Amino acid sequence: MQKLSRSIALLAAMVLILAACQGTNTGNSSASTGSGGAGATKGTIVIGVDLPLSGGEAPNGQPTLSGIKLAIEKANGQAGGYKIETDVRDDAVNGTHNPEQGATNVQALIANENVIAMVGPFNSNVGKAEIPLTSPAGLLQCSPANTNPSLTKKGADGKFLRGDNPVSYIRVATTDDIQGPALADYLYTTLKKTKVFIVDDTETYGKGLADTFEAKFKDLGGTVTARQGVPNPDGSADYTSILTAAKGAGPDSVMYGGVTTTGGAKLRTQMADVGMGDLSYIGGDGIVDGSGDTTSSYVNLAGPAAANSFGSVAATHDIPNAGDFAAAFKAKYATDPGAYSAPAYACTQVILAAVEAVAKDAKDMKDLREKVRAYVTTGGQKFDTALGPVSFDENGDSSQKVISFYKTDMTAADGKGDWVFASQKDFAGQ
Amino acid sequence: MDLSVFTQQFFNALSLGAIYALIALGYTMVYGIIELINFAHGDVFMVGAFTAMWLLTVPFSQSGAIHNPILLAGLLIVVFAITMTFMGFVGMGIERFAYRPLRNAPRLAPLLTAIGVSFILQNIIQTIFGPSPRRTPKVFPTDIRFDLFGASISLLSIFIFVLTLALIIGLQTFIGRTRLGRAMRATAQDRQAAQLMGVNINRTIALTFFIGSALAGAGGVVYGLYFGQIGFTLGFSAGLKAFTAAVLGGIGNTTGAALGGFLIGFVEVYSGQFGLFRWSEAIVFGVLIVVLVFRPSGLLGQPLGERA
Repeated sequence: MQKLSRSIALLAAMVLILAACQGTNTGNSSASTGSGGAGATKGTIVIGVDLPLSGGEAPNGQPTLSGIKLAIEKANGQAGGYKIETDVRDDAVNGTHNPEQGATNVQALIANENVIAMVGPFNSNVGKAEIPLTSPAGLLQCSPANTNPSLTKKGADGKFLRGDNPVSYIRVATTDDIQGPALADYLYTTLKKTKVFIVDDTETYGKGLADTFEAKFKDLGGTVTARQGVPNPDGSADYTSILTAAKGAGPDSVMYGGVTTTGGAKLRTQMADVGMGDLSYIGGDGIVDGSGDTTSSYVNLAGPAAANSFGSVAATHDIPNAGDFAAAFKAKYATDPGAYSAPAYACTQVILAAVEAVAKDAKDMKDLREKVRAYVTTGGQKFDTALGPVSFDENGDSSQKVISFYKTDMTAADGKGDWVFASQKDFAGQ
Repeated sequence: MDLSVFTQQFFNALSLGAIYALIALGYTMVYGIIELINFAHGDVFMVGAFTAMWLLTVPFSQSGAIHNPILLAGLLIVVFAITMTFMGFVGMGIERFAYRPLRNAPRLAPLLTAIGVSFILQNIIQTIFGPSPRRTPKVFPTDIRFDLFGASISLLSIFIFVLTLALIIGLQTFIGRTRLGRAMRATAQDRQAAQLMGVNINRTIALTFFIGSALAGAGGVVYGLYFGQIGFTLGFSAGLKAFTAAVLGGIGNTTGAALGGFLIGFVEVYSGQFGLFRWSEAIVFGVLIVVLVFRPSGLLGQPLGERA
């Protein structure tokens, strides 16, 4: 009996070894046909994409995805002798960005060895779920829109989200430790408001933005009349009670830390119901998400109540050759670029430039993935992007620290209302 | 907290409570008559909210406040009438196809079909209107306000309260004073005896579903007008709270359901007032636990006897 089982084990081991050999064989042969076959094209590599693309998040994700596709098209669909393809994944579940879905998406991207880098995600809490996965895998991840500082900083436990792994996450958006104070600065200095009521959605992005906003607003000499955290994952929260409670202190403005799908538009609408409709309303890039013509955007959902709203985008608006970019975008998609189209374009440019630079030294796909990551994250490489020259610091944050401010204009978009650019400010060195 | 804020919050609580009360009535009526917890009821309410949104935006192409009082009243009558009738028939249809075939099956079977119907309704709405939140035009002008004890009450708040009160009184009168209402009470007490006395059981139960669903439809219209924003998942949390309201008031008891609805509205609003907003759901269910420990049949519940 024992003899029999031992011989079965031996047989199984032999089969395994045989299978492993065959595996390496096919690997080699496909690589050789790749390099020998065409000469110019060494094969196909994939840029992974993870963005919220459906439902209430479509106004965020779709124009961002268009930016990525435009950049690849501008590079004629190739870099470093490789043909470039995309693997696009949606992290919205039931119309709202979802960290678990994001994690599932990046696991699939990591598992595909042809994915040499990825663009995304859009939302900070999704980033929080993804960085611990992409870092050990060494997959370069460039987020066009994540702004929460904790993604690249040591947490309360003294550890980075990436753990002890080298940096693989970079972002071109300016972080909320700049966006939050910038909003405070804009509200206090430009809009001349001194008493603000703050509401946040208790999520990573919303709470972080509101925290940094609150600190700066107090620093400047303003008063925070009250602060409320309202979790609102399914959009069913009623804000009238907290607004009524806040009204007594006489705020002259309301600041919202969060995104449209977690209550940004509803809070604004309900302000009118309790007689606070005349107050100025200010939020971060989470509410600057398209015109009144776009279903489920902030301006669309708030309707007439969207007037007198202010918001920011954590990227430069006056990009170099803005006209060319907007014209190329409009020619392809018949619509104006979204707030994060140009940053997504820039992310893609960074990846393509890295592939261009390291492709000739890469032994195989695994090596190419690692070389791309190392090229972008070490040595302070400067990239010439649609946003202007960008480099990344030792934690992957962008060297650009520009915040753009927008306000709602209810006569724009044929009377349906839209966000229009107001001003921008460079916070580098502050 | 001074009196004006208290009064203001009181009216906020009445508006929110009215929505819960309107949904809770349907839960309690259905439970009263066939002892089924109709988990699809919250989604009937959600479909009502979408029906009203569609009516307002597509055939009537409204986008904002209407300042002409006659036009506003006319529009509201039409929207409420169509939505309530439509939802009534939807409720009857659900009863006919999902519950009636299982009326004599073990209790668990109709409970599961109820959950199934809930998903079907959600998926239908998601397919038609998409997963993202949609705007319901707030047709009530927000600048028409009334001053009361230093608080400024919007026309919408008053409308919601008056409408809900009228519907509740109408329902009580219907159940207590009419032949059909008597048939409903008889069916709730003893289905077989009622049948022997010549009550058409199927018709009576269908009628109960019609009324309960029509009230949920009215709740849906009110929800859209009040919040100005609806999504296909709103039936779950609103339905859960309304169900709690029904249990709190004593399930099977219509007055209790209305009372429970308003009570939950008050708990939610005043927890927001005192800075405990994120605890509001914990407080709501805490109240439920305390009430059930001391009064297992709810605040006004009668363990036996008249239930409808």
